[in-house]
Amino acid sequence: MDMKNAENANYTQMDHEVNITKIKGMEILPSNMAIKKYEWIREYFKGEPKEGYFIWIKEQINLPITTCMNIASESVSQNLQNLIIIEKNLKINLQGSCNSLKKDLCGRHISSGKIILKENAVLEYNHIHAWGNEDIVDTNYEFILENGSKLNYDYKINSTPKKIKLNTEVICLENSTANIKIIGNCENTDLEINDNIILKGKDSSGILKLRLVGKENAKILSHSRITTEAECKGHLDCQGLPIHKTAELILIPELVCRDNQSQITHEASIGKISEEELNYLKSRGLNEQEAIDLIVNGFLED
Amino acid sequence: MILFKELTKKIRKYFMVLEIKDLKVKSGEKEILKGMNLKINSGETHALLGPNASGKSTLVQVLAGNPRYEIAGGSILFNGLDITKLPTEERINLGLAIAWQNPPTIKGVKLSKLLDKISKKKIEPEELGANPGVLDRSVNLNFSGGEKKISELLQVISLNPKLVIFDEIDSGLDINKLEKVSKIIKKELIDKNVSVLVITHSGEILNFLKPEIINVLVDGKIICEENNYKRVLKTIKKYGYEKCRECELHADGP
Repeated sequence: MDMKNAENANYTQMDHEVNITKIKGMEILPSNMAIKKYEWIREYFKGEPKEGYFIWIKEQINLPITTCMNIASESVSQNLQNLIIIEKNLKINLQGSCNSLKKDLCGRHISSGKIILKENAVLEYNHIHAWGNEDIVDTNYEFILENGSKLNYDYKINSTPKKIKLNTEVICLENSTANIKIIGNCENTDLEINDNIILKGKDSSGILKLRLVGKENAKILSHSRITTEAECKGHLDCQGLPIHKTAELILIPELVCRDNQSQITHEASIGKISEEELNYLKSRGLNEQEAIDLIVNGFLED
Repeated sequence: MILFKELTKKIRKYFMVLEIKDLKVKSGEKEILKGMNLKINSGETHALLGPNASGKSTLVQVLAGNPRYEIAGGSILFNGLDITKLPTEERINLGLAIAWQNPPTIKGVKLSKLLDKISKKKIEPEELGANPGVLDRSVNLNFSGGEKKISELLQVISLNPKLVIFDEIDSGLDINKLEKVSKIIKKELIDKNVSVLVITHSGEILNFLKPEIINVLVDGKIICEENNYKRVLKTIKKYGYEKCRECELHADGP
Protein backbone atom coordinates (compact mmCIF):
# COMPACT_ATOMS: atom_id res chain seq x y z
CA MET A 1 0.00 0.00 0.00
CA ASP A 2 1.34 3.43 -0.91
CA MET A 3 0.87 5.13 2.43
CA LYS A 4 1.66 8.62 1.15
CA ASN A 5 -1.56 8.89 -0.77
CA ALA A 6 -3.62 6.49 1.23
CA GLU A 7 -7.06 7.96 0.69
CA ASN A 8 -8.57 4.78 1.99
CA ALA A 9 -6.77 4.86 5.35
CA ASN A 10 -9.07 4.70 8.36
CA TYR A 11 -7.58 7.94 9.64
CA THR A 12 -5.91 10.35 7.23
CA GLN A 13 -4.60 13.75 8.17
CA MET A 14 -3.35 16.14 5.49
CA ASP A 15 -1.68 19.08 7.28
CA HIS A 16 -4.64 19.69 9.70
CA GLU A 17 -7.48 18.34 7.62
CA VAL A 18 -8.86 15.01 8.80
CA ASN A 19 -10.63 12.27 6.87
CA ILE A 20 -12.05 9.23 8.64
CA THR A 21 -13.24 5.96 7.13
CA LYS A 22 -15.23 4.00 9.68
CA ILE A 23 -15.40 0.26 9.83
CA LYS A 24 -17.47 -2.10 11.93
CA GLY A 25 -16.02 -3.15 15.27
CA MET A 26 -13.98 -0.02 15.79
CA GLU A 27 -14.62 3.52 16.90
CA ILE A 28 -12.42 6.18 15.41
CA LEU A 29 -12.63 9.88 16.29
CA PRO A 30 -10.44 12.96 16.33
CA SER A 31 -8.99 13.15 19.87
CA ASN A 32 -10.55 16.57 20.63
CA MET A 33 -14.01 15.14 19.93
CA ALA A 34 -13.33 11.83 21.67
CA ILE A 35 -12.63 13.39 25.08
CA LYS A 36 -16.00 15.12 24.95
CA LYS A 37 -17.76 11.85 24.18
CA TYR A 38 -15.81 9.64 26.61
CA GLU A 39 -14.85 11.40 29.80
CA TRP A 40 -12.89 8.32 31.01
CA ILE A 41 -10.21 8.68 28.34
CA ARG A 42 -9.26 12.17 29.52
CA GLU A 43 -6.63 10.66 31.86
CA TYR A 44 -4.66 9.42 28.83
CA PHE A 45 -4.21 12.90 27.39
CA LYS A 46 -2.16 15.85 28.50
CA GLY A 47 -4.65 18.72 28.73
CA GLU A 48 -6.89 19.37 25.75
CA PRO A 49 -5.65 17.58 22.62
CA LYS A 50 -5.65 19.84 19.55
CA GLU A 51 -5.43 17.12 16.97
CA GLY A 52 -4.72 13.41 16.61
CA TYR A 53 -6.89 10.31 16.79
CA PHE A 54 -8.67 8.05 19.22
CA ILE A 55 -9.00 4.49 17.95
CA TRP A 56 -10.94 2.03 20.08
CA ILE A 57 -11.00 -1.48 18.68
CA LYS A 58 -13.82 -3.45 20.27
CA GLU A 59 -14.26 -6.43 17.96
CA GLN A 60 -12.02 -8.67 15.89
CA ILE A 61 -11.09 -6.93 12.61
CA ASN A 62 -9.21 -9.05 10.13
CA LEU A 63 -8.16 -6.32 7.70
CA PRO A 64 -5.25 -4.03 8.60
CA ILE A 65 -6.27 -0.78 10.28
CA THR A 66 -4.46 2.14 8.72
CA THR A 67 -3.48 5.63 9.77
CA CYS A 68 -1.77 8.15 7.53
CA MET A 69 -0.32 11.50 8.61
CA ASN A 70 0.90 13.84 5.92
CA ILE A 71 2.58 17.19 5.78
CA ALA A 72 1.62 18.66 2.44
CA SER A 73 2.16 22.44 2.80
CA GLU A 74 5.05 24.65 3.81
CA SER A 75 5.81 25.35 7.50
CA VAL A 76 2.94 23.29 8.86
CA SER A 77 3.15 22.44 12.52
CA GLN A 78 1.24 19.33 13.58
CA ASN A 79 0.70 18.68 17.26
CA LEU A 80 -0.93 15.32 17.69
CA GLN A 81 -2.15 13.35 20.67
CA ASN A 82 -3.21 9.81 19.83
CA LEU A 83 -4.80 7.02 21.84
CA ILE A 84 -5.31 3.46 20.69
CA ILE A 85 -7.15 0.91 22.83
CA ILE A 86 -7.37 -2.72 21.80
CA GLU A 87 -9.86 -4.79 23.74
CA LYS A 88 -9.21 -8.23 25.26
CA ASN A 89 -8.29 -11.24 23.09
CA LEU A 90 -8.32 -9.35 19.78
CA LYS A 91 -5.64 -9.89 17.15
CA ILE A 92 -5.08 -6.66 15.27
CA ASN A 93 -2.83 -5.48 12.46
CA LEU A 94 -2.11 -1.78 12.41
CA GLN A 95 -0.29 0.06 9.61
CA GLY A 96 0.76 3.61 10.35
CA SER A 97 2.62 6.05 8.17
CA CYS A 98 3.90 9.58 8.65
CA ASN A 99 5.15 11.48 5.62
CA SER A 100 6.12 14.75 4.11
CA LEU A 101 4.89 14.93 0.57
CA LYS A 102 7.80 17.12 -0.53
CA LYS A 103 11.42 17.28 0.55
CA ASP A 104 11.59 21.01 1.43
CA LEU A 105 8.38 21.83 3.33
CA CYS A 106 10.09 22.70 6.65
CA GLY A 107 7.27 21.04 8.57
CA ARG A 108 7.06 20.27 12.25
CA HIS A 109 5.49 17.05 13.51
CA ILE A 110 5.03 16.71 17.25
CA SER A 111 3.24 13.60 18.27
CA SER A 112 2.53 11.78 21.51
CA GLY A 113 0.37 8.85 22.26
CA LYS A 114 -0.62 5.84 24.24
CA ILE A 115 -1.34 2.38 22.91
CA ILE A 116 -3.09 0.05 25.31
CA LEU A 117 -3.33 -3.68 24.73
CA LYS A 118 -5.91 -5.21 27.00
CA GLU A 119 -5.53 -8.78 28.33
CA ASN A 120 -4.35 -11.32 25.73
CA ALA A 121 -4.64 -8.84 22.88
CA VAL A 122 -2.13 -9.17 20.04
CA LEU A 123 -0.94 -6.22 17.98
CA GLU A 124 1.22 -6.30 14.83
CA TYR A 125 2.15 -2.67 14.28
CA ASN A 126 4.17 -1.41 11.30
CA HIS A 127 5.00 2.24 11.54
CA ILE A 128 6.71 3.70 8.47
CA HIS A 129 8.19 7.19 8.20
CA ALA A 130 9.41 9.24 5.25
CA TRP A 131 10.28 12.85 6.03
CA GLY A 132 11.52 15.85 4.10
CA ASN A 133 15.07 17.14 4.51
CA GLU A 134 14.03 20.24 6.49
CA ASP A 135 11.36 18.78 8.80
CA ILE A 136 11.59 18.56 12.58
CA VAL A 137 10.00 15.58 14.28
CA ASP A 138 9.45 14.85 17.96
CA THR A 139 7.50 11.77 19.05
CA ASN A 140 6.68 10.31 22.46
CA TYR A 141 4.87 6.98 22.60
CA GLU A 142 3.92 4.74 25.47
CA PHE A 143 2.68 1.19 25.10
CA ILE A 144 0.94 -0.58 27.94
CA LEU A 145 0.80 -4.34 27.58
CA GLU A 146 -1.70 -5.87 29.96
CA ASN A 147 -1.48 -9.47 31.13
CA GLY A 148 -0.85 -12.01 28.36
CA SER A 149 -0.82 -9.47 25.56
CA LYS A 150 1.69 -9.41 22.73
CA LEU A 151 3.15 -6.56 20.71
CA ASN A 152 5.28 -6.75 17.54
CA TYR A 153 6.27 -3.18 16.70
CA ASP A 154 8.35 -2.31 13.64
CA TYR A 155 9.28 1.34 13.41
CA LYS A 156 10.99 2.22 10.17
CA ILE A 157 12.44 5.57 9.13
CA ASN A 158 13.05 5.37 5.40
CA SER A 159 14.09 8.97 4.96
CA THR A 160 15.17 11.11 7.85
CA PRO A 161 14.27 14.75 8.59
CA LYS A 162 16.68 17.47 9.67
CA LYS A 163 16.08 16.60 13.31
CA ILE A 164 14.18 13.76 14.91
CA LYS A 165 13.64 12.76 18.51
CA LEU A 166 12.01 9.46 19.19
CA ASN A 167 10.98 8.43 22.68
CA THR A 168 9.31 5.06 23.20
CA GLU A 169 8.40 3.36 26.45
CA VAL A 170 6.86 -0.09 26.65
CA ILE A 171 5.43 -1.35 29.91
CA CYS A 172 4.95 -5.10 30.07
CA LEU A 173 2.65 -6.64 32.67
CA GLU A 174 2.41 -10.31 33.61
CA ASN A 175 3.14 -12.83 30.83
CA SER A 176 3.13 -10.19 28.11
CA THR A 177 5.64 -10.00 25.26
CA ALA A 178 7.11 -7.05 23.41
CA ASN A 179 9.21 -7.32 20.24
CA ILE A 180 10.34 -3.87 19.23
CA LYS A 181 12.42 -3.16 16.17
CA ILE A 182 13.59 0.31 15.21
CA ILE A 183 15.16 0.78 11.80
CA GLY A 184 16.77 4.02 10.76
CA ASN A 185 18.26 4.76 7.37
CA CYS A 186 19.84 8.08 8.37
CA GLU A 187 21.22 10.80 6.13
CA ASN A 188 21.71 14.54 6.84
CA THR A 189 19.97 14.20 10.15
CA ASP A 190 20.27 14.53 13.86
CA LEU A 191 18.53 11.52 15.36
CA GLU A 192 18.02 10.98 19.07
CA ILE A 193 16.41 7.77 20.25
CA ASN A 194 15.33 6.99 23.81
CA ASP A 195 13.74 3.57 24.19
CA ASN A 196 12.85 1.68 27.29
CA ILE A 197 11.12 -1.64 27.76
CA ILE A 198 10.03 -1.99 31.37
CA LEU A 199 9.31 -5.60 32.29
CA LYS A 200 7.05 -5.20 35.32
CA GLY A 201 5.16 -8.48 35.30
CA LYS A 202 6.25 -12.02 36.10
CA ASP A 203 7.09 -14.07 32.98
CA SER A 204 6.99 -11.04 30.74
CA SER A 205 9.60 -10.76 28.02
CA GLY A 206 10.95 -8.07 25.77
CA ILE A 207 13.29 -7.82 22.81
CA LEU A 208 14.51 -4.44 21.63
CA LYS A 209 16.35 -4.39 18.31
CA LEU A 210 17.93 -1.37 16.69
CA ARG A 211 19.37 -1.24 13.19
CA LEU A 212 20.81 2.15 12.38
CA VAL A 213 22.64 3.07 9.20
CA GLY A 214 24.73 6.24 9.22
CA LYS A 215 25.01 7.85 5.80
CA GLU A 216 26.34 11.32 4.95
CA ASN A 217 26.07 13.84 7.82
CA ALA A 218 24.09 11.52 10.06
CA LYS A 219 24.39 12.11 13.78
CA ILE A 220 22.82 9.29 15.75
CA LEU A 221 22.50 9.08 19.50
CA SER A 222 20.60 6.19 20.95
CA HIS A 223 19.88 5.33 24.58
CA SER A 224 18.20 1.94 24.66
CA ARG A 225 17.24 0.41 27.92
CA ILE A 226 15.60 -2.73 29.25
CA THR A 227 14.46 -2.62 32.86
CA THR A 228 13.37 -5.72 34.77
CA GLU A 229 11.17 -5.47 37.86
CA ALA A 230 10.04 -9.12 38.10
CA GLU A 231 11.08 -12.64 37.15
CA CYS A 232 11.31 -12.09 33.39
CA LYS A 233 13.61 -12.05 30.38
CA GLY A 234 14.85 -9.26 28.16
CA HIS A 235 17.26 -8.90 25.28
CA LEU A 236 18.72 -5.77 23.76
CA ASP A 237 20.34 -5.83 20.33
CA CYS A 238 21.81 -2.56 18.99
CA GLN A 239 23.71 -2.57 15.70
CA GLY A 240 25.04 0.42 13.83
CA LEU A 241 26.45 0.54 10.32
CA PRO A 242 28.33 3.71 9.38
CA ILE A 243 28.74 3.90 5.62
CA HIS A 244 29.96 7.48 5.25
CA LYS A 245 32.99 9.11 6.84
CA THR A 246 30.89 12.04 8.13
CA ALA A 247 28.48 9.77 10.06
CA GLU A 248 28.61 9.74 13.86
CA LEU A 249 26.92 6.94 15.79
CA ILE A 250 26.65 6.75 19.56
CA LEU A 251 24.79 3.67 20.76
CA ILE A 252 24.30 3.33 24.51
CA PRO A 253 22.68 0.08 25.60
CA GLU A 254 21.53 0.03 29.21
CA LEU A 255 20.42 -2.96 31.25
CA VAL A 256 18.66 -2.20 34.51
CA CYS A 257 17.91 -5.13 36.81
CA ARG A 258 15.56 -4.69 39.79
CA ASP A 259 14.72 -8.34 40.37
CA ASN A 260 17.32 -11.00 41.04
CA GLN A 261 15.25 -13.66 39.24
CA SER A 262 15.32 -11.77 35.97
CA GLN A 263 17.70 -12.16 33.07
CA ILE A 264 18.75 -9.49 30.59
CA THR A 265 21.24 -9.94 27.78
CA HIS A 266 22.55 -7.57 25.18
CA GLU A 267 24.65 -7.38 22.06
CA ALA A 268 25.86 -4.16 20.54
CA SER A 269 28.19 -3.34 17.69
CA ILE A 270 29.09 -0.60 15.28
CA GLY A 271 31.07 -1.66 12.28
CA LYS A 272 31.79 -0.61 8.74
CA ILE A 273 30.80 -2.73 5.74
CA SER A 274 33.19 -5.62 5.43
CA GLU A 275 35.50 -5.49 2.44
CA GLU A 276 35.14 -9.25 2.07
CA GLU A 277 31.36 -8.96 1.69
CA LEU A 278 31.75 -6.15 -0.86
CA ASN A 279 34.29 -8.09 -2.92
CA TYR A 280 32.10 -11.16 -2.80
CA LEU A 281 29.09 -9.31 -4.19
CA LYS A 282 31.25 -7.66 -6.84
CA SER A 283 32.33 -11.14 -7.85
CA ARG A 284 28.66 -11.74 -8.61
CA GLY A 285 28.63 -8.84 -11.05
CA LEU A 286 27.29 -6.07 -8.79
CA ASN A 287 28.98 -2.68 -8.84
CA GLU A 288 30.08 -0.98 -5.61
CA GLN A 289 26.86 0.97 -5.05
CA GLU A 290 24.63 -2.03 -5.80
CA ALA A 291 26.67 -4.14 -3.40
CA ILE A 292 26.47 -1.49 -0.64
CA ASP A 293 22.70 -1.11 -1.13
CA LEU A 294 22.19 -4.86 -0.84
CA ILE A 295 24.31 -5.12 2.31
CA VAL A 296 22.56 -2.10 3.90
CA ASN A 297 19.10 -3.48 3.13
CA GLY A 298 20.14 -6.84 4.53
CA PHE A 299 21.43 -5.17 7.69
CA LEU A 300 18.16 -3.27 8.17
CA GLU A 301 16.07 -6.38 7.54
CA ASP A 302 18.14 -8.66 9.79
CA MET B 1 30.62 -39.37 -33.99
CA ILE B 2 34.22 -39.77 -32.81
CA LEU B 3 35.39 -37.79 -35.81
CA PHE B 4 32.94 -35.02 -34.96
CA LYS B 5 34.20 -34.88 -31.37
CA GLU B 6 37.81 -34.69 -32.58
CA LEU B 7 36.85 -31.94 -34.98
CA THR B 8 35.04 -29.97 -32.28
CA LYS B 9 38.10 -30.32 -30.09
CA LYS B 10 40.33 -28.95 -32.84
CA ILE B 11 37.99 -26.03 -33.54
CA ARG B 12 37.86 -25.18 -29.84
CA LYS B 13 41.59 -24.49 -29.88
CA TYR B 14 40.90 -21.39 -31.91
CA PHE B 15 38.61 -19.98 -29.22
CA MET B 16 40.68 -19.28 -26.20
CA VAL B 17 38.58 -18.23 -23.19
CA LEU B 18 41.38 -17.50 -20.77
CA GLU B 19 45.01 -16.78 -21.41
CA ILE B 20 47.37 -15.94 -18.59
CA LYS B 21 50.69 -14.66 -19.89
CA ASP B 22 53.83 -14.45 -17.76
CA LEU B 23 51.81 -13.31 -14.75
CA LYS B 24 53.80 -11.98 -11.81
CA VAL B 25 51.98 -11.04 -8.61
CA LYS B 26 53.34 -9.58 -5.41
CA SER B 27 51.99 -9.36 -1.90
CA GLY B 28 54.09 -6.76 -0.11
CA GLU B 29 57.69 -7.52 -0.99
CA LYS B 30 57.06 -11.19 -1.64
CA GLU B 31 56.53 -12.47 -5.16
CA ILE B 32 53.83 -15.13 -5.14
CA LEU B 33 53.18 -15.80 -8.82
CA LYS B 34 56.47 -15.79 -10.67
CA GLY B 35 55.67 -15.68 -14.35
CA MET B 36 52.69 -18.01 -14.66
CA ASN B 37 51.24 -19.12 -17.99
CA LEU B 38 47.92 -20.85 -18.59
CA LYS B 39 45.60 -21.24 -21.58
CA ILE B 40 42.02 -22.48 -21.38
CA ASN B 41 40.05 -23.00 -24.56
CA SER B 42 36.32 -22.82 -25.02
CA GLY B 43 34.56 -25.82 -23.49
CA GLU B 44 37.68 -27.28 -21.90
CA THR B 45 37.85 -28.59 -18.36
CA HIS B 46 41.14 -27.89 -16.64
CA ALA B 47 42.41 -28.87 -13.24
CA LEU B 48 44.98 -26.94 -11.26
CA LEU B 49 46.78 -28.73 -8.49
CA GLY B 50 49.37 -27.41 -6.15
CA PRO B 51 50.69 -27.74 -2.62
CA ASN B 52 49.92 -25.23 0.14
CA ALA B 53 51.37 -21.78 -0.52
CA SER B 54 52.01 -22.53 -4.19
CA GLY B 55 49.92 -19.50 -5.25
CA LYS B 56 46.52 -21.13 -5.99
CA SER B 57 44.46 -18.79 -3.80
CA THR B 58 46.40 -15.75 -5.02
CA LEU B 59 45.64 -16.76 -8.59
CA VAL B 60 41.90 -16.88 -7.87
CA GLN B 61 41.97 -13.48 -6.15
CA VAL B 62 43.90 -11.95 -9.04
CA LEU B 63 41.55 -13.45 -11.63
CA ALA B 64 38.65 -12.01 -9.61
CA GLY B 65 40.31 -8.59 -9.73
CA ASN B 66 40.91 -8.14 -6.01
CA PRO B 67 42.73 -4.78 -5.83
CA ARG B 68 44.73 -5.87 -2.79
CA TYR B 69 47.03 -7.90 -5.01
CA GLU B 70 49.69 -6.08 -6.97
CA ILE B 71 50.28 -7.27 -10.50
CA ALA B 72 53.99 -6.83 -11.15
CA GLY B 73 53.96 -8.09 -14.72
CA GLY B 74 52.21 -10.08 -17.41
CA SER B 75 48.59 -10.05 -18.52
CA ILE B 76 45.24 -11.83 -18.31
CA LEU B 77 43.15 -12.14 -21.47
CA PHE B 78 39.51 -13.18 -21.41
CA ASN B 79 38.02 -14.00 -24.80
CA GLY B 80 40.92 -12.08 -26.28
CA LEU B 81 40.25 -8.96 -24.20
CA ASP B 82 42.90 -7.75 -21.77
CA ILE B 83 41.16 -7.76 -18.38
CA THR B 84 44.29 -7.33 -16.26
CA LYS B 85 43.15 -3.93 -15.00
CA LEU B 86 39.40 -4.40 -15.30
CA PRO B 87 37.23 -4.06 -12.14
CA THR B 88 35.76 -7.27 -10.73
CA GLU B 89 32.14 -6.71 -11.77
CA GLU B 90 33.12 -6.01 -15.39
CA ARG B 91 35.05 -9.28 -15.55
CA ILE B 92 32.01 -11.12 -14.23
CA ASN B 93 29.74 -9.42 -16.73
CA LEU B 94 32.05 -10.64 -19.53
CA GLY B 95 31.35 -14.23 -18.46
CA LEU B 96 33.90 -15.10 -15.78
CA ALA B 97 32.48 -16.71 -12.62
CA ILE B 98 34.11 -17.87 -9.42
CA ALA B 99 32.84 -20.33 -6.84
CA TRP B 100 34.64 -19.44 -3.63
CA GLN B 101 36.09 -21.83 -1.09
CA ASN B 102 35.13 -19.74 1.94
CA PRO B 103 32.37 -17.32 0.96
CA PRO B 104 31.39 -14.70 3.56
CA THR B 105 28.04 -14.42 5.35
CA ILE B 106 25.74 -11.63 4.14
CA LYS B 107 23.35 -11.10 7.04
CA GLY B 108 19.77 -10.27 6.21
CA VAL B 109 20.17 -11.01 2.49
CA LYS B 110 18.32 -14.18 1.60
CA LEU B 111 19.92 -16.46 -0.94
CA SER B 112 16.76 -16.18 -3.08
CA LYS B 113 17.10 -12.37 -3.10
CA LEU B 114 20.76 -12.53 -4.08
CA LEU B 115 19.93 -14.95 -6.90
CA ASP B 116 17.16 -12.63 -8.12
CA LYS B 117 19.60 -9.74 -8.13
CA ILE B 118 22.47 -11.43 -9.97
CA SER B 119 20.80 -13.99 -12.25
CA LYS B 120 21.37 -13.74 -15.96
CA LYS B 121 19.43 -16.91 -16.58
CA LYS B 122 16.61 -18.72 -14.83
CA ILE B 123 17.58 -21.66 -12.68
CA GLU B 124 15.60 -24.21 -10.66
CA PRO B 125 17.43 -24.33 -7.31
CA GLU B 126 15.66 -27.46 -6.05
CA GLU B 127 16.62 -29.38 -9.20
CA LEU B 128 20.21 -28.26 -8.63
CA GLY B 129 20.37 -29.83 -5.18
CA ALA B 130 19.29 -26.92 -2.95
CA ASN B 131 17.67 -28.08 0.29
CA PRO B 132 14.18 -26.75 0.91
CA GLY B 133 14.44 -23.67 3.05
CA VAL B 134 18.03 -22.75 2.21
CA LEU B 135 16.82 -20.06 -0.21
CA ASP B 136 14.98 -18.29 2.61
CA ARG B 137 18.04 -18.03 4.80
CA SER B 138 20.68 -15.31 4.88
CA VAL B 139 23.50 -16.07 2.44
CA ASN B 140 25.94 -18.50 4.11
CA LEU B 141 24.61 -17.85 7.63
CA ASN B 142 24.81 -21.18 9.46
CA PHE B 143 25.02 -23.01 6.12
CA SER B 144 26.56 -26.46 6.35
CA GLY B 145 29.67 -27.15 4.26
CA GLY B 146 27.54 -28.83 1.60
CA GLU B 147 24.96 -26.02 1.56
CA LYS B 148 27.72 -23.46 0.99
CA LYS B 149 29.00 -25.38 -2.02
CA ILE B 150 25.51 -25.72 -3.49
CA SER B 151 24.88 -22.01 -2.89
CA GLU B 152 28.08 -21.16 -4.76
CA LEU B 153 27.10 -23.51 -7.57
CA LEU B 154 23.63 -21.98 -7.89
CA GLN B 155 25.11 -18.51 -8.06
CA VAL B 156 27.74 -19.26 -10.69
CA ILE B 157 25.30 -21.22 -12.86
CA SER B 158 22.79 -18.36 -12.67
CA LEU B 159 25.47 -15.98 -14.02
CA ASN B 160 25.36 -17.88 -17.33
CA PRO B 161 29.17 -17.90 -17.49
CA LYS B 162 31.69 -18.76 -20.18
CA LEU B 163 34.32 -19.86 -17.67
CA VAL B 164 33.88 -20.98 -14.07
CA ILE B 165 36.73 -21.20 -11.61
CA PHE B 166 36.08 -23.54 -8.71
CA ASP B 167 38.29 -22.71 -5.75
CA GLU B 168 38.63 -25.93 -3.74
CA ILE B 169 34.97 -26.82 -4.20
CA ASP B 170 35.85 -30.30 -2.93
CA SER B 171 37.18 -29.18 0.46
CA GLY B 172 35.14 -30.46 3.38
CA LEU B 173 32.80 -32.61 1.28
CA ASP B 174 32.32 -36.32 1.88
CA ILE B 175 32.41 -38.66 -1.10
CA ASN B 176 28.62 -38.67 -1.64
CA LYS B 177 28.35 -34.88 -1.59
CA LEU B 178 31.43 -34.65 -3.82
CA GLU B 179 29.72 -36.88 -6.37
CA LYS B 180 26.49 -34.85 -6.14
CA VAL B 181 28.35 -31.55 -6.69
CA SER B 182 30.41 -33.03 -9.52
CA LYS B 183 27.30 -34.29 -11.31
CA ILE B 184 25.79 -30.80 -11.23
CA ILE B 185 29.02 -29.24 -12.54
CA LYS B 186 29.11 -31.80 -15.33
CA LYS B 187 25.46 -31.51 -16.32
CA GLU B 188 25.04 -27.75 -16.01
CA LEU B 189 28.44 -26.53 -17.17
CA ILE B 190 30.79 -29.05 -18.77
CA ASP B 191 28.10 -30.71 -20.91
CA LYS B 192 26.96 -27.27 -22.01
CA ASN B 193 30.45 -26.38 -23.24
CA VAL B 194 31.22 -23.95 -20.43
CA SER B 195 34.96 -23.88 -19.68
CA VAL B 196 35.88 -24.97 -16.18
CA LEU B 197 39.00 -24.55 -14.06
CA VAL B 198 38.95 -26.75 -10.97
CA ILE B 199 41.48 -25.72 -8.37
CA THR B 200 42.03 -28.52 -5.92
CA HIS B 201 44.33 -29.60 -3.20
CA SER B 202 43.37 -33.26 -2.96
CA GLY B 203 42.43 -34.09 -6.54
CA GLU B 204 39.62 -36.49 -5.53
CA ILE B 205 37.02 -34.51 -7.52
CA LEU B 206 38.95 -35.08 -10.75
CA ASN B 207 37.85 -38.71 -10.81
CA PHE B 208 34.30 -37.42 -11.30
CA LEU B 209 35.01 -34.47 -13.60
CA LYS B 210 37.72 -36.09 -15.73
CA PRO B 211 39.50 -32.92 -16.85
CA GLU B 212 41.07 -32.77 -20.29
CA ILE B 213 44.16 -30.98 -18.98
CA ILE B 214 45.78 -30.98 -15.57
CA ASN B 215 48.17 -28.22 -14.53
CA VAL B 216 50.48 -28.32 -11.56
CA LEU B 217 51.39 -25.08 -9.80
CA VAL B 218 54.47 -25.12 -7.62
CA ASP B 219 56.15 -22.07 -6.16
CA GLY B 220 54.22 -19.59 -8.33
CA LYS B 221 54.75 -21.32 -11.69
CA ILE B 222 52.94 -23.96 -13.70
CA ILE B 223 55.49 -26.75 -13.87
CA CYS B 224 53.33 -29.39 -15.52
CA GLU B 225 50.59 -29.38 -18.14
CA GLU B 226 49.41 -32.87 -19.00
CA ASN B 227 46.40 -34.58 -20.54
CA ASN B 228 46.46 -37.67 -18.38
CA TYR B 229 45.17 -36.48 -15.03
CA LYS B 230 45.30 -39.99 -13.56
CA ARG B 231 48.99 -40.25 -14.23
CA VAL B 232 49.72 -36.88 -12.62
CA LEU B 233 47.55 -37.64 -9.60
CA LYS B 234 49.25 -40.98 -9.15
CA THR B 235 52.71 -39.41 -9.32
CA ILE B 236 51.82 -36.68 -6.83
CA LYS B 237 50.23 -39.19 -4.49
CA LYS B 238 53.25 -41.45 -4.61
CA TYR B 239 56.13 -38.98 -4.68
CA GLY B 240 54.66 -35.60 -3.76
CA TYR B 241 54.84 -32.38 -5.77
CA GLU B 242 58.63 -32.33 -5.80
CA LYS B 243 58.62 -35.17 -8.29
CA CYS B 244 56.83 -32.92 -10.81
CA ARG B 245 59.88 -30.70 -10.95
CA GLU B 246 61.96 -33.56 -12.26
CA CYS B 247 59.41 -34.66 -14.83
CA GLU B 248 60.37 -34.47 -18.52
CA LEU B 249 56.96 -32.84 -19.24
CA HIS B 250 57.92 -29.83 -17.11
CA ALA B 251 55.86 -27.05 -18.71
CA ASP B 252 57.56 -23.74 -18.00
CA GLY B 253 61.07 -25.18 -17.70
CA PRO B 254 63.24 -25.11 -14.59
